[in-house]
Amino acid sequence: MSFQQKNITVSLANFTLILGFYLFRVIQMIQSDGFTSTSIFRLWGITIGLAIVVTIIGTILTHIVSAIIEAIRTGKDDPKIEDFEDERDQLIDLRGTRVTYFVSSVGVFLSMLTFVFDQPPLVMFTLLIFFGLVAQIVGDISRLVLYRRGF
Amino acid sequence: MSKSRISNNIRKLRFLNEEMTQQHLAEKVGVTRQTIIAMEQGKYSPSLELAFRIALVFGVPLEEVFSYDAVTEKTNEA
Repeated sequence: MSFQQKNITVSLANFTLILGFYLFRVIQMIQSDGFTSTSIFRLWGITIGLAIVVTIIGTILTHIVSAIIEAIRTGKDDPKIEDFEDERDQLIDLRGTRVTYFVSSVGVFLSMLTFVFDQPPLVMFTLLIFFGLVAQIVGDISRLVLYRRGF
Repeated sequence: MSKSRISNNIRKLRFLNEEMTQQHLAEKVGVTRQTIIAMEQGKYSPSLELAFRIALVFGVPLEEVFSYDAVTEKTNEA
């Protein structure tokens, strides 16, 4: 497994956990009648903040763990990690981003549809973040599939 | 219906060039070892620039490294 694949796997795990946390908090709010604009926007902030922090920490940890594994494998004190992106990595990243944008666009459209069914704007805002996280997860999965299957 | 794909002789040429390792070739052409593996397995078709760089490393013309196969499947016409 290349460094890029490890990075994507960590990102996938992180965003899956964040999505789980987000859904758990939303269900909690609905059950406790706390589904208000204040609490939802607070959750928005927490989720986006978490996504940024966890992504940064995940990348740093992947670097450290990869370096440790490489050092054990080669027995060198200064292991060399192939952490640069070559043309194949860039192409896969581009295709993954395209999938992310597509899912995200469909998500925004579906979120807007809630107005058709006379739902309050709060539902739309809740769904927007949900689909944003789902889009990231689907994008990461498609990147991993492209690495495995080839193209 | 027609299928087309690019095949290569990278593995064979590595062997003929003093059993050059995938890592060594990857370093020479500026890609990761994973990309060389993907190319050898036919899972990735490189850009024209990378194809030329690989041919240059082996000191052979491009056609000796890569070949374009157009496989045409005959469809039964009713």
